[in-house]
Amino acid sequence: MRKINNLALIAALGGVLFVTSCKKDEVAPEEENVVEIFTDVKLVFTNTADASDKVEARAQDPDGTGVEELTILDDITLDTSKTYTLTYEIFNNLNTPGENIGAEILEEDNEHQFFFTFSNNAFANPVGNGNIDNAADPINYNDTDENNHPVGLSTQWTTPSTQLTGGTFTVRLQHQPDVKTGTSGSSDGDTDFDLTFVLNIQ
Amino acid sequence: MMSKYLYLSRMATKSIFIFFLVLSTVSFSQSDSCQYQFSGKLLDIDTKDPIPFATVKIQGSEKATQTDGKGQFILENLCEEEHTLIISCFGYCDSICEANHQHGSAPPIYLHKKVEQLDKVIIEAEEIKERGTESIAQTDIDKIEIKKDRTKSLASLISDQQGVTLISMGSNVQLPVIHGLYGNRILILNNGFKHGFQNWGREHAPEIDISSADNITVVKGAAGVRFGAEALGGAIIVNANPLHFRESLYADVGAGFQTNGQGINTNIEVGAGLDKWSYFINGNFTKIGDRFAPDYSLTNTGKEERAFSAGTRFKHKKIDVKLYYSYVDQNLGMLRSSIAHSGNAFVLAINGEQPTFIKPFSYEINAPNQLTTHHLGKVEANWHYKKDSKLTFRSGFQLNKRQEYDIRIESEKPVIDLNLITTDYQLEWKHPDWFKLDGIIGIQYFNQNNDNNPGTGATPFIPNYNTNRGSFYVLESKKLERTSLEAGIRIDYELNNVRGREPNQEIFRDEYAFTNVTSSAGLVRHLTENSTFRFNIGTAWRTPNMAELYSFGQHGFKTSFGLLRYYQNEEGIFKTDRVLELVESGAKPENGYKLINELEVRTKKTKHVFTPYMNYIRNFIFDRPLAVIGTVRGPMPVFIFDQTDAIFIGADYSFVSDFSEDINGVFRISYLWSKNIKDNEVLINQPPISLNYRLNWNKEKLWIFENSRLSITPSYTFHQFQAPRTVPPEDLISGIESVTPNSEIFDFKDAPEGYFLLNLSLHTNYRNLKLGINATNLLNTDYRDYLNEMRYFADEPGTNVMFTLNYSFKKR
Repeated sequence: MRKINNLALIAALGGVLFVTSCKKDEVAPEEENVVEIFTDVKLVFTNTADASDKVEARAQDPDGTGVEELTILDDITLDTSKTYTLTYEIFNNLNTPGENIGAEILEEDNEHQFFFTFSNNAFANPVGNGNIDNAADPINYNDTDENNHPVGLSTQWTTPSTQLTGGTFTVRLQHQPDVKTGTSGSSDGDTDFDLTFVLNIQ
Repeated sequence: MMSKYLYLSRMATKSIFIFFLVLSTVSFSQSDSCQYQFSGKLLDIDTKDPIPFATVKIQGSEKATQTDGKGQFILENLCEEEHTLIISCFGYCDSICEANHQHGSAPPIYLHKKVEQLDKVIIEAEEIKERGTESIAQTDIDKIEIKKDRTKSLASLISDQQGVTLISMGSNVQLPVIHGLYGNRILILNNGFKHGFQNWGREHAPEIDISSADNITVVKGAAGVRFGAEALGGAIIVNANPLHFRESLYADVGAGFQTNGQGINTNIEVGAGLDKWSYFINGNFTKIGDRFAPDYSLTNTGKEERAFSAGTRFKHKKIDVKLYYSYVDQNLGMLRSSIAHSGNAFVLAINGEQPTFIKPFSYEINAPNQLTTHHLGKVEANWHYKKDSKLTFRSGFQLNKRQEYDIRIESEKPVIDLNLITTDYQLEWKHPDWFKLDGIIGIQYFNQNNDNNPGTGATPFIPNYNTNRGSFYVLESKKLERTSLEAGIRIDYELNNVRGREPNQEIFRDEYAFTNVTSSAGLVRHLTENSTFRFNIGTAWRTPNMAELYSFGQHGFKTSFGLLRYYQNEEGIFKTDRVLELVESGAKPENGYKLINELEVRTKKTKHVFTPYMNYIRNFIFDRPLAVIGTVRGPMPVFIFDQTDAIFIGADYSFVSDFSEDINGVFRISYLWSKNIKDNEVLINQPPISLNYRLNWNKEKLWIFENSRLSITPSYTFHQFQAPRTVPPEDLISGIESVTPNSEIFDFKDAPEGYFLLNLSLHTNYRNLKLGINATNLLNTDYRDYLNEMRYFADEPGTNVMFTLNYSFKKR
């Protein structure tokens, strides 16, 4: 009799625990708004004299982290002797609707900076070949972060009167949390994107 | 706190009754019949002289022995876990036994010359190997060893054992490696249950606080029948406080300080045992700041850990019940300079003389870091319904919460945020003697439920899943004259239900099941009085883990795709645009076959142990290079998980020699050769040859100090000669080196040079106070360890001196 009681005790103990843990759930993870993956980057050059005069160049990696190759869809073809403002449209289009990452970068502008390199003296202003090789080289940043350091979500470019065909234009966005200073360069921190376009000035 | 106890109760005039408990290493097989042995030493309390020719007898049995000239005795083939010893010793019989707290397989029992009152004597009985694994080579780590440095990780503590190393991601995330296998191929058993944690990749260490462990056993063979599938390489068994009865109130308080990282540690344990009831509570706190390598600070390598555990045990008639709860809360910093999401940053980080990010010392822990909490609740009931049989029911509940933070846009959000709930039910019957067969039959039910918490801003790296596993096993052993035989078989049925998100946030689902058989057979033969031979062959299997199946894209600096994340289309082009179902992919469970032998030869002053082994793993899962692809971050090398067949052959050898009564030395060497036999290439991240020598100097009494021990350990770890070829990331990015699915496996950096380390430790007791000094890397050597992923970015920590103090309060 005692044996039966003991067995019942164990069974009851087990039963209680079993019931509490045997809920069935087959829920999928919730949808996330992914801002860390860039599938589409568009460079937008807007003529400062005429807001309707725009030159756009796109780069696309349609599957984000997948093995599909990155493609540069357009050349940058600017007119001679004009001043342009360069801004960006940066999206993760794996999400529907696409996630605008430009807004996130603006929010964290004290951790980000854009750097450039281009065919030597391709522009009348800035002169030279850009600041990827040397951060102190001239680039006309239109914006600064809270520490008064340049960001580059908006930059200014003046084309010369001379023509250029088949040049290059590279834009690199560096993520520099705790690294960005007045002197930090294009190798500091990590690269969010690094894209090279063909540059023509006609 | 000792694991085994011996008690004195009020005695008759001519003998001392000593009641002792011998508990096996694993809490769930306490009453193995006739497998216990017990050894001790009788000493005069005043002179510390041995007491020879005393009779030591088990009460109520014919078993008896006599102490030798050194006062030592040994009792073997004891059948029960609780015995009363009667020590009859002329001249000492009417004397007092002082309370002692000694350690070792032959700890002294001190006897007084006059009897006034009897107090408790605590000694340790030598452990006999766990049922079903007796024929497998294994080692134990006891509480004394654990207490020497409570801030250590589980892996770091056991890596001191022969054949065991650790693989790591810096100082805080360390996983044990047994004979070249780690992660899911090693079963970690915490308190009788498989530790339920995010055991994938090598970025996650088991969240087990060693300071709450009473002892740890490392089983080096395929011990899956006894402990559950997955033990392809071996098992690590962590046991908590055994909750002995008849133990007076005690409190142990400990504190430690370490120079490297300016770490502090405090610990307290309180417990007591009455006749039918016992309890303990334990708390531990550790805080370590940035460690430093000889030449620079390792920024963001701090660690903070809080742990708490408590247990109680009570006995009613033939039922013995244990309740246990433990909690661990960790914040683990990862080296800041190890973060590189782009090829550019990785090239800079891997090629720099120094890490890319060095800040002054701080206790602050920022991203990248891991926040984890682990709860374990357990109920165990043993019903001793007959003298030689018992029924054990065990149930465990574990909740593992993990949040990982990364350097990224929106770094305030965790990139990984998971809750994993594990539930176990086990019923085990130790059956009565059948045709001289001694054995157990058990059934187990295992359930795991993994959920992603929303709000990470990242596609879940690991899907939500539910695993249900039912198991049945039988283990039998038979003792012949000089040979013990054992054999076991286990059948598991496992069902997995998986729900995840594709990168475009579409849901994918899958359900798959496996039935597998695990078996093991072995023998132990006492060849001569001084030599023992062990032989074991075991099989094991495991389901590919969730990371091996479902990982995709970039994690750390590596982009890799799980077995179900890629396929080849009709043109033979690799695609990663959808998730496959397991059936479609052809992914199979891993099957392992491990053969392990051990030959032990003892002479009067030496002991040789030689342990050769061979492990063959079918469908071995590993990652191999696929290609270099262009991404918005620049060109990046991509890897895929694949399956092959692999073989591991190696041997461990140790040689102990006693130079004098006080001085002994231990020499050890480990060698492992491994190969991917399908592709005829080497495997990556395999432990290199290592050898070390430990010189111990023991002194029972030195001035006011007792049981002092000084150890000096020089060790040399060789360059890994079997490492894969090196392809620097810059060559991949610039296109100098091209990668195809047929490319040979490679590493980004050469395996580091061999290195010499010198460690020193000094431990002594003054009354109830234990003092310890542990110095590692005493020569402040610059070195990198092949099995530490941080070797790409920074040197290992420099000299660390750890000071520990432990005080034991005892009710007299």
